[in-house]
Amino acid sequence: MATTTTRALAEAISGLQRRYGTRAVRRGGDPLAAGSWATGIPAVDEALAPGGLPLGRLTVLAGERRPGCLGASGRLTLLQALLAIASRSMQVAYVDLPGTLDPGFLADLGADLDACLVVRPPRGVPGPGLAMARTLIRAGVPWVGIAFGGERVPPTTWTHPLNALVEAAWAARTVACFSAPAPLPAPLAYASSLTVACSPLGWHEAHGDVAGLRVRLEVAKSRVGAPGAETAMLIRYPRPHAVGEVVGLPTLLPGYRDTPLPATVARVAPATGPAAAAG
Amino acid sequence: MPRILCARFPHLGLLAAWRRHPELRSEPVVVGGAPELRLPVIAASAAAEAAGVRPGQPLRQAQQACPAAVFVALDEEEVARLRAGAVAALCGVAPAVEVGDAEAFADLSGGHAMHPGEPAWAAATARALAGALDGEAPAVGVAGSRFVARMAARVSAPRRVRLVRPGEEAAFLAPLPLGLLPADRAVLARLAALGLDCLGAVASLSAADLQRQFGPAGLAVHRLARGEDGGAVDAWAPPRTLAERLPLDGPVADLEAIRAAARSLAGALGERLHTAALAAGTLGLALEEEGGVAATARRVLPAPAGNGAELWPAVLGLLGEARPQAPVVALRLEAGGLCPGSGRQVDLWRTGDAGREAVVRSVARLQDRFGAGTVLRPRLALDPGDLAERRFIWEGARA
Repeated sequence: MATTTTRALAEAISGLQRRYGTRAVRRGGDPLAAGSWATGIPAVDEALAPGGLPLGRLTVLAGERRPGCLGASGRLTLLQALLAIASRSMQVAYVDLPGTLDPGFLADLGADLDACLVVRPPRGVPGPGLAMARTLIRAGVPWVGIAFGGERVPPTTWTHPLNALVEAAWAARTVACFSAPAPLPAPLAYASSLTVACSPLGWHEAHGDVAGLRVRLEVAKSRVGAPGAETAMLIRYPRPHAVGEVVGLPTLLPGYRDTPLPATVARVAPATGPAAAAG
Repeated sequence: MPRILCARFPHLGLLAAWRRHPELRSEPVVVGGAPELRLPVIAASAAAEAAGVRPGQPLRQAQQACPAAVFVALDEEEVARLRAGAVAALCGVAPAVEVGDAEAFADLSGGHAMHPGEPAWAAATARALAGALDGEAPAVGVAGSRFVARMAARVSAPRRVRLVRPGEEAAFLAPLPLGLLPADRAVLARLAALGLDCLGAVASLSAADLQRQFGPAGLAVHRLARGEDGGAVDAWAPPRTLAERLPLDGPVADLEAIRAAARSLAGALGERLHTAALAAGTLGLALEEEGGVAATARRVLPAPAGNGAELWPAVLGLLGEARPQAPVVALRLEAGGLCPGSGRQVDLWRTGDAGREAVVRSVARLQDRFGAGTVLRPRLALDPGDLAERRFIWEGARA
């Protein structure tokens, strides 16, 4: 009896998927099949998102603030590092809602500035910014990064543009990567297919100076794989006034599990870049 | 390896005269004006040329050579219409075209999906041109450079295509008379005085010797005689804007009437764009009011529009933006950012040229809607100085 029911259910599901597409009905535990963009950062490609960031989906880097790191969580620097990697092979767009982007910092991360479009909507309002991002996605820009600040704009004003952006990204198979402070606004948390929580472990110091930020990354939500994966990474900061220096990829922090979370972290601000200060 | 097609046809002034007076087709016709005017002959029909009339000679002299000739003035408007038709016809067949008064050039480099093989492509080009020139079949030559193609067209006949294969240019030019070289008359006279009567004789000389005798002109003559001139097609480019104006029968305040007039205007402008094989990238609407003030609106189109149906949605949007404060007496619609409307690359790959064009258009639309400073492209400064904020420059993102 149970076998007959199971077979009938499988046939019904198969029929519905044939008629309405594979996305119409699926089992709750099955992750959706999606292509991926390999970032080249092992910590991201292997540990967090299998194969890289999902194509046609929203990836959100959520920054959790901890006392001692002056509000830094590494989410914005990580977003800009990913953007820099993408810009070397494709056209990218960066929606700068807080208006804090330092192109010099982006260049130091190795970005090809000729391939970077920077969108700064009037007054940094999220609604027009998301609408502009959607326009660029529909035009064929394959990689879009969107930096959310701590905007105190009611989510109702940008929920509709966000939904439109999700649809456009899905249709064009675009990598859409957000950076936003935790806790995430409800519409963004719902729309996200992969939410990575970034929390600082502490400053990375060299010769008494801050040279980077150690960050713990944890998959808080995933529609493309299993949530719960975590890793850590060292994000190096460019040295001040080292023109043309390329920092390279963020590196995996080895054996961070063995290192106890620091009770106190260095109270030195990052030396360069408003992005570093903000993120 | 470039391949250039040259098509020779009767002068456009002569074709314009025949279009207006078909009964003159078999008569000797001289274009330039009345013979008593002190003006040169612009063009002459075959019958007039047989009687000794040559372009460039004074009209009075032409009358003495051919007293039976009919003298007509140049109809510049009709010539412009004929030229536009020829350009539109050739643009549908070849990527780069140039139309002169009695010659047209087209770039046949590469291949054409619809016309495999150079002879078929050349024949299709000749057919397209003949269709635009009231059925007047051109004489066509195809070669690797502009001068050789022109010579090939000269030795060809109407409805015929003369192909000069790569590497055979010098052999083809060798028997042609010296007078065909586009060089200074004094240089040609001196060459003739030296006993050189054909292009092959000039080509066989040393370039250094010719340069010693004639300077840079000698080198140019040597290159031409060997078929190494390297001349290409000076491709026709679309005009920058195209506008259409519609005066109304008195001041109109009714929006429905203005909408109907705008629809008619969009149709007229779309027809002009279609005829000229163009598409508009931007569109501007001006509603001229009674007091001489105009309510205007302008927008960048999401995709180039090449006919009335494609223009109409944008015109509707502009009507909503332009808010006239007084009754309207006329409407003016202007198409800008013109680009060739036919023969565009199909958007097969998102990351290809068409994709880049789409991004450029989208950026222009966003800047048009939200302001020029909303979509930017950073550039590192060459001389950054000491301050971190001077390390880069913001530029408005463009193509």
